[in-house]
Amino acid sequence: MSPFTPLRFDETRKRCRVRAICVASFFLIFFFPSRGIAEKTITLALGTDPKSFNPAISQETSTTAVVGLLFEGLTRFDPQSGEVLPCLAESWEISPDGQIWTFHLRKNVQWFDGQPFTSGDVVFTFRDLLLNPFVPVPARGIFTLRGDPVQVEEIDQHTVRFHLPQPFAPFLMSLGYPIFPEHVLQNPVAQGKLASVWGIGEAPGNIIGTGPFKLKKYIPGERVELVRNDRYWRKDFRGEALPRLEKVVLLIIPNPEARLLKFFEEELDVYPVRGNDYPLLKPREKKGNFTIYETGVDVGSHFLVFNQNDPEPHRRKWFQNRRFRDAVSRSIDRPAMIDLIYNGFAVPQCSPVSPGIPFFFDPDISCLDFNPAQAAEELRGEGFEDKNQDGILEDSEGVPVEFTILTNSENPDRVSIASMIRQDLAKIGFKVTLLPIEFNSLVVKLTATGEWSASVMGLTGTPDPHFGITVWKSDGALHFWNRKGDRSEWETRLDSIFDQAAVSLDRGRRKALYDEWQKIAAGELPLIFTVLPKTVYAARNRLCHLKPTPLGGILYNIDEIDVAEEIPAKAST
Amino acid sequence: MTRFRKTKMRQALLPGIFLGTLLLSAAGAGWIAPYSPHAEAREYAYHPPAKIHFRNEQGGISLFRPYVYETRRVFDSFRRRHYVEKPGRKFYVTFFKGCLFTVPEPAKAYLLGSDPRGRDILSRILFGTRTSLSIAFLGALLATVLGFWVGGLAGYFGGRIDQFLMRLSEFFIMIPAFYLLLALRSALPPDLGSRETFLLVVLILSVIGWGGLSRVVRGMTLSLREREFVSAAKILGRGDFEILTRHILPHLISYLGIAVSLAIPGYILGESVLSLLGLGIQEPDVSLGNLLQDCLSIPNIEFNPWLFAPGFWLAFISFGFYFLGDRLTRSGENG
Amino acid sequence: MKNLLNFIIKRGLITLPILFFLPFLTLCLMHMIPGNYFDSLKMNPQISAETITQYESHYHLGEPLAIQYFHWLKNLLRLDLGFSFAYQQPVLSILKSRVWNTFLLSSVSIIFAWCLAVPMGLLAGLRPNGWLDRTLKSLSYLGLAFPNFFLCLLLLYLAYRIGGLPLSGMRSVHFEDLCYLDRILDVARHMVIPVLVLGGGSACVLFRLMRAQTIEVSNKDFILLLRACRIPERKIIFKHILRNAVNPLVTLFGMELPALFSGAALVEIFTGWPGLGQVMLSAVRAQDLFLVLGNMLVISFLLILGNLLSDILLIAVDPRIRSLHPQGRAGI
Repeated sequence: MSPFTPLRFDETRKRCRVRAICVASFFLIFFFPSRGIAEKTITLALGTDPKSFNPAISQETSTTAVVGLLFEGLTRFDPQSGEVLPCLAESWEISPDGQIWTFHLRKNVQWFDGQPFTSGDVVFTFRDLLLNPFVPVPARGIFTLRGDPVQVEEIDQHTVRFHLPQPFAPFLMSLGYPIFPEHVLQNPVAQGKLASVWGIGEAPGNIIGTGPFKLKKYIPGERVELVRNDRYWRKDFRGEALPRLEKVVLLIIPNPEARLLKFFEEELDVYPVRGNDYPLLKPREKKGNFTIYETGVDVGSHFLVFNQNDPEPHRRKWFQNRRFRDAVSRSIDRPAMIDLIYNGFAVPQCSPVSPGIPFFFDPDISCLDFNPAQAAEELRGEGFEDKNQDGILEDSEGVPVEFTILTNSENPDRVSIASMIRQDLAKIGFKVTLLPIEFNSLVVKLTATGEWSASVMGLTGTPDPHFGITVWKSDGALHFWNRKGDRSEWETRLDSIFDQAAVSLDRGRRKALYDEWQKIAAGELPLIFTVLPKTVYAARNRLCHLKPTPLGGILYNIDEIDVAEEIPAKAST
Repeated sequence: MTRFRKTKMRQALLPGIFLGTLLLSAAGAGWIAPYSPHAEAREYAYHPPAKIHFRNEQGGISLFRPYVYETRRVFDSFRRRHYVEKPGRKFYVTFFKGCLFTVPEPAKAYLLGSDPRGRDILSRILFGTRTSLSIAFLGALLATVLGFWVGGLAGYFGGRIDQFLMRLSEFFIMIPAFYLLLALRSALPPDLGSRETFLLVVLILSVIGWGGLSRVVRGMTLSLREREFVSAAKILGRGDFEILTRHILPHLISYLGIAVSLAIPGYILGESVLSLLGLGIQEPDVSLGNLLQDCLSIPNIEFNPWLFAPGFWLAFISFGFYFLGDRLTRSGENG
Repeated sequence: MKNLLNFIIKRGLITLPILFFLPFLTLCLMHMIPGNYFDSLKMNPQISAETITQYESHYHLGEPLAIQYFHWLKNLLRLDLGFSFAYQQPVLSILKSRVWNTFLLSSVSIIFAWCLAVPMGLLAGLRPNGWLDRTLKSLSYLGLAFPNFFLCLLLLYLAYRIGGLPLSGMRSVHFEDLCYLDRILDVARHMVIPVLVLGGGSACVLFRLMRAQTIEVSNKDFILLLRACRIPERKIIFKHILRNAVNPLVTLFGMELPALFSGAALVEIFTGWPGLGQVMLSAVRAQDLFLVLGNMLVISFLLILGNLLSDILLIAVDPRIRSLHPQGRAGI
């Protein structure tokens, strides 16, 4: 007996109607995506939530990406020309001995809340905030020369004067440091509450700066919205007010794959292209309405560093041996790294200065060729041999060469580099273990406890080599390889180089000094550099006035960028 | 053997064979895999599965003399990799010489293609199965032992002990496995060596699964407790522990065995998820979850779909175990 | 009605301990970490020493386990779940924004799974070993065995190739500018893949159960009697077979919840759905104690809620339970 008798007529109809509605809504959902209301907006991606809206205490990239658009300094760096240009200061004079700088501030600049910007704010920033006794501000170190802080005095409403204890070559560049509003922060700073002010819980309207955009909204885990500062002082060459964009939206997308997907879905306007993304993106340029810009080489560094103060005496001896480090550098297969990790979009790195900083980069530094045979030869000369034929080299005392490389697990490229180095070293007979650990733990080991043997790390770059001083000077916090031991001759020489270059205002002399530094670094190999990725961006064609440059990327002139046509108005469904 | 048992065995034959092959291939990975799982051939990264040819010189097909050509890498204008065969020299596949099959250098016999660093995916899958299976098996075993003891004690002693233990197991059943996995992982230091990580993952997995088992064991023990042989043993003065292990346990063995085999796919998946998220087995060790990390990248998958192979293998294993478990339990219904 | 209320309260009290057990367990585990949790934080230049001492004293982190737990409970009563160092925000605000997302995803998935599995199970069970039954059985088998995170990856890849569906996240960029109806549609579009994966898995389990139940109920004597009385087949199917077959499913609803939340967390991670699962992963990666604890708490809470709902549902569906004493149901 069939369990299913035919349905009666009216029930059939009702069922059909229900089915029709389901099918119709199904199609509605898929084929009528809705668009938003027109507004000149640019949408970018952030890797994580910003940790704070206070540029004085926070230096993470996700924070600086946001607050960098809200605040300005006395000067700004122009990546296109490589020059330091006026910003909140219109002009300046330097005394003949280079120690007294007088700045004439721009008039008619207003803070977001309408208060006028005056020299009082500058004095407040460099005297009360930077040097406040309660909360350590990271930038304090930059403005403290030979132990003495830089002094600032107010001459009149729009003039300030800085007194430097000694001439300081990168002083102008460091004055890109944001100026803070005295009338808002005076009390919190005096009460020692600088660390808790302008946190991410703060109402957006309370973050007061002078920059082209101001904070409008922050939805944790989702987005940060900035709107145009209608009081912004800067005008373009035709006298029209800047910025041209009305809104900047920063979406918080921790997953790099998700960022690529959002770019495909036309929700992101700018996307930093990885080497492996290139074959995917390039053919879609026309259809996707975007253009790929190759802007040059990254300005950071990725390197392998050995702990020359390794607690274990045998390892310490190996790591202090220059020829050991030389052999390691020769056995690292940089071309393979460029090929596999970056799909060809990288260059081998041999100097602490990136080719992306052409003025200081010394092109005469030759990279060590990939030559494992020569490396093995060199090691043999130093007494390393595989006596018991187990595939692992032993040193002259019979101790097998074994150590662990630490790296930070959050950076997949770095982990891949470290993994490839491990393979390369295994080929010349080292037994290397790779241990990716969390970034903070790694920093603690490298800078405090000293419990590490080798590490693959990276540093961000700066346009002026002086800011690498914490790495290269013997007493620097980031002088990883030799924090406690005796200074070698070349390290003393480097200390002297950096001291001299800091105070010399002669560009030619500085270049000569930093060239010598690069040669020493390449010869002594305290940091064994690996490869530098090229910077490639994909940007929607509807963005105008883009001026991609190697040093600045593509968004440094965001106050000039415009949107060609409006987003179409919402389609009615 | 009863007829009941015979039917059960027959129905479990097919999946049994399947799983037997699986276990053998995992155990014999060293001999079956043509390449070491760590051997990087950097010029052959992202290599598609090798094209095996059977055509001989006369133009016919000779099934027993397959060969491959050497390939070389070519980049197109979009910087995308292609591998082009170099016709001319044939590299014949040799069988049973040192390992199941191999091809003389410099040709490569990548049956399932190669990964972003030029390592043979098939070899990595075989070795990864070994790791994943052993972790899952150990984890399931540990969980079963734990479940047996908790359930056995609860059922045997009853009363307050029973209430307390069953409450405890209830808690553990109610915890969503994934959250517990993560919470346990977070409690332990993130930077561990490979051996420690292995043991840790086993431990974490076993904590998740024992709850359900203990409840069933409790029920079974409760009924067994009333049987004559238990009373007899008590009268003879045997200790509780002895009664549990020597008298009650044998009755539960077949059920426990089935429980272990049913639990294994869950544990394999648990380990894979942990490793996939970077919280379990990490480079350079290989596990099935580890291998799937390359699938998380859209450009990788777009151009190199063979990277999905470990996932299908995982599904295959999982499927086989479910099949087996299903047959073993269901044959009880029909038989 | 009073009986119902009694029942709910009693059930709530019984399952409430789990609300506090999970975080306690987690706290115990985190105490096993060698060294002080705050050691690594101290070295982080972003966090000033004052903040750390402040929190150490505020949350009594230097003290023994039981005291810590007690203080955490006390803070809980004031709705203070602690401060997350990874996100630099109070834990409650982070979780508040995510709970709804997870809840939405889970409930839509359950509804989807039921709408799919119950009719299919019924149809398959009514004609056992027919072509429909065999097809659906194999499909459900496949669905069960297939690892759901892999299915997620595959579906994402398929959707990427075919296009038309958003592949990650919950809302579009222009969400704020959309009108109310468009917003719903936007979220719905983003939900397609996660719901398919999550609901699909549950549906497979439910389908098999429903099918088995349908077969069992169909073979019962009273059905034969009803047929002999010439009651229309449709009525038999919907009023008698369906209602009886669904009963065990509702009973098991509460037991499915942990698996559902587990699956939801995984799916959230892979599709970028901003829910509790994603937060849990970042909290674990950052070893953020309070966030992990708070997350476990919220999950336990959702579980209890779900169980309560399932009990209410059971009462509504099965008239036999209404007359029973509230403690009639054994076990969970």
